[in-house]
Order: sequence, then C-alpha cells, then structure tokens
Amino acid sequence: MEQIIANGLYLGAQYALIALGLTLIFALMNVLNFAHGQMYVLGGFVTYTIYAQLGMPFVAGLLASAVTLAVVGAIVEKFLFRPVIKRSLREESTMLLAAGIAFFLDAVILLAFGEKQRGVPKIIHGVLNWDFRIIMPYDRILIGALAIAVIATFILYMQYSKTGRAMRALAQDRVAAQLMGVDVNRYSMIGFALGAMLAGIVGGLLVTITGVNLGMGGPTSIKAFMMVMIGGAGVISGAIVGGFILGMMESIGLTVLSQYGDITYLVIFVTLMVFLSFRPQGLMGKPWG
Amino acid sequence: MEPLLHLDKVELYYDHVYALKGVSIDLNEGETVALIGANGAGKSSILRAITGLNPIHRGEVHFQGSRLDGTRASDIVKLGIVMVPEGRRVFPYMSVRDNLLMGAFTRDDKAAIKQSLDGVLHRFPRLKERYSQTAGTLSGGEQQMLVIGRALMAKPKLLLLDEPSLGIAPKLVQDIARSILAINRDEKVSVLLVEQNSRMALSISHRAYALATGNVVVAGQSKDLLKDERIKAAYLGGEI
Repeated sequence: MEQIIANGLYLGAQYALIALGLTLIFALMNVLNFAHGQMYVLGGFVTYTIYAQLGMPFVAGLLASAVTLAVVGAIVEKFLFRPVIKRSLREESTMLLAAGIAFFLDAVILLAFGEKQRGVPKIIHGVLNWDFRIIMPYDRILIGALAIAVIATFILYMQYSKTGRAMRALAQDRVAAQLMGVDVNRYSMIGFALGAMLAGIVGGLLVTITGVNLGMGGPTSIKAFMMVMIGGAGVISGAIVGGFILGMMESIGLTVLSQYGDITYLVIFVTLMVFLSFRPQGLMGKPWG
Repeated sequence: MEPLLHLDKVELYYDHVYALKGVSIDLNEGETVALIGANGAGKSSILRAITGLNPIHRGEVHFQGSRLDGTRASDIVKLGIVMVPEGRRVFPYMSVRDNLLMGAFTRDDKAAIKQSLDGVLHRFPRLKERYSQTAGTLSGGEQQMLVIGRALMAKPKLLLLDEPSLGIAPKLVQDIARSILAINRDEKVSVLLVEQNSRMALSISHRAYALATGNVVVAGQSKDLLKDERIKAAYLGGEI
C-alpha cells in the first residue's frame, strides 16, 4: 500500500508538471499544444547531451533544458502561433499548427539525436528500504522532490508575482486585462515560454530515471491531455490534481492489475470516458464555452 | 483652452456596418461628459475608438494635444486613459485585492500604489469587507464598484465608463452615480460616461451628446438637455 502511494506521488509530480505547462498555454491562448510531448522529449535530449555526453553536472543539463525550451517556446509563439491566431478565424488552425510543430520537432530530434533510446548515468546511487514497505531508489526520491519544488515555485510565481498576476488576468478576461495595460503579445509569449520550459524541465528530470527516446513525444502529449481533462482545462489546480490522479491510477494499475495483463491504460481510458460523460468540464473546470 | 480629448469626424465600422459616421466630440479637463442614446447608437463604439480596442477608419482622436488613434489598447493606460468596460468584467477567479492590484499594473511606485489602494477602499468600504473574496462571487453592484475602483488604481486623468448602471439594483445605481460625481469632483478625474439611463447620466454630467445611428444629434449643457423637449421625448420618456 505505502509502496503504491509512494510510486503514485513520484509519478504524479512529474505528470502534474507536464500538465501545468499544457494548461498554462491553453488558458492564455486557447491553444492546445499538441507538440508538448515533443518539447518534453527535446528537454530530455538536451540534459542527456550536457550531462551524459559532455560530462557536465546534472544541474547544468537541467538548466540547459529549461532555457532551450523556453527559447523554443518563445519562438514558436512569436513566429508561428501569433500570426496564425491574428489571421485565422477558426480555432482549428492553431490545432493544425500545433500538430505540424509536433511532427517538425520529431524530425529535428531524429536528425539531431537519432532514434535510439538514450540513458544517463545515475545521479545518486542507493535505494531507500523502509522495512520493505517502501522500496525506492534515492534518485527517484530526489527527482520527485525536485518536481514538487518546481510545482510549488510555479504556483507561488503565478499567485504572487506581477507577471503571474498579469497572466492570470489575461486568461480570465482578455479585454479587461488589455484595458489595464497588459500587452497581450508580450504575455502570451512569456506564458508559452514558461509552459514549454516546464515540459523541458520534466524531460530533463525524467531522463535520469526512464531515459529518453524519440517515440515518447506523442504518448506524453496524450497523457498530458488526459490529465488536463481530468482536472479541467485551463485551471492550474486542475492540472495538478489531474497529474496526481493519473500518477496514482497508473501506480495502482501497475501493481493491482498487472496480473491480468497489460490493461492499466485500458482501464484508465474507460474510466476517463465514463467520468467525462458525467462531468465534461473536469473536476475543477469551468464548463466549456 | 485646448480640450483634453478631441474626436474629429471619427468613422468606425464593424464588418462594413457603420457604427460611427463622422462623430466629433470634445471633453475639457475636469468635465464629466455624458453620451446618451439608444442601443446601437454608437455610444460604446466611441469608447472603443478612443481606447484602440477597435481601429478607426477615418478621422482623428487627440488626447492632451497629441494624436491618440493608432495607439494599442494596452498602451492607452500609460497615457492616463482608463476604460471600465460594459458588463463589469471583473477577473472572476481573482480576489478583490488582486483585481485592484491589476488596476495598478502599469505603475511601479509601491508606496503610491498603496496610497491609491487605501483611497479606493475608503471610497468603497464594501470592497474592504470583501477584500480577500473571489471577485466572481460579488453582487452586481459590488462588482461595479470593484471595476471602478480597479480603474482608479491606474490613476487616470480620463475615466471612460461604459454603462455603469446596466443590470444594477436601482438603489445601487444612486450609489454609483454619487461615486462618479465624487471621483470627478474630489480627484479631478475627467469622466466620459456612456449611459442608457439618460436621466441619471444628465443629472451627474456637465455636458452631454445625444447620439442616434452613429451621429451626434443633440449636444449641450446637461441641465438644459434635461428640459429639452426633443430629449425628453426621445430619451427620458418612460424612465422614472
């Protein structure tokens, strides 16, 4: 039991961080970023390159992932989403654009890093064994704790900084925010950069545990959408709750359901479909439209 | 003396439907000017033309002697023009406090912001009682006080009010009218007031323009317009 909860918390923290980035971008720009998973993978490869290939400290790799993805996010917003949103009359255009960016990033990653699974040396060795009730390697504990620290920092930033307040205002009422002097272009770019940066950070964190490969992008995006749907789109608390719920479900599923075969995600999808038919706006969400 | 705000033959249309057909209005420093008229007469379009929410197609807008049209909506605030949009539009999931602080978004001097905050809470004691509450849970009248307070946090020279009495309980309409009077008098803020409640608008303004289908049809001193037969027939008829 304790083991399931510990695994769920560890997974949930990573997932919540991924979902936070996705939901921030959605809340600010009404864009579903299909390329979120690819941004996560790119973050993994950057840390791999800095830490495993160049032999620099892990922290340097993690910072490089964050900065790289923030820059990628800012560029993608400024030169791709902004002009499309300005000209397009239909919301589907941004979805197509996001899907296009996903394929593009896949191709870039394939060219730059190849198709092989890559791992990095362990950041710390040893395993915590609490009376055989919880057995967890120290590196997982550290990565889980780092993820939770990043989540906490992000929430505090959104809640108490002037920039965070402006982004919340923009998400809640675009026109009113503009009339208070919030520059929509500038804060959309900051928000997109932040969201992409969070994806990059998770990539850098998780490469130390699971490694990274090209194929992880798509499934990660799908998981991120699921979390956001569980919690409610565009709501920060929803993304966090959704992340931890999915992490917990996966942890329970892998322990309890594995004896019946690889059906964890089958059960999760069915549960999600039933849940959404009763509560389409998610747990914390406001109804669509 | 040069007017604070001057609109010169402004034309504006949405998808080829004319909203303003060459409107010229002036507002002098310290004045409260009302724009009255029926729905669709173009009152709100004038405010949207001033703030840059909608680009104008012909004509010019001047503020303090410089050209205003073409300036982005988010840059207008720094010049001292703040608009309170129709329908209140608080930030619904933010606290009253954060809503008010958003009003001071373009300001940096913490001490001065604190002073403005105290001033607003003094003017609207209800907001003080609701200080940590989420804005979406306030009543309509309280939300109207909040958006006016939020606008004052920007320290405006010119306050643009779009239908502040719309959907508010009659008792509170009087409170809001009194606040607008006091803001104009005590804080030397010039006010451009768009209202369907013409009697209220004329009773708290110095001058007024009556609009119909995108044109100014009558202009004059508010106290004269209150007695004007044309205005009475067209705008004051059924109202109490």
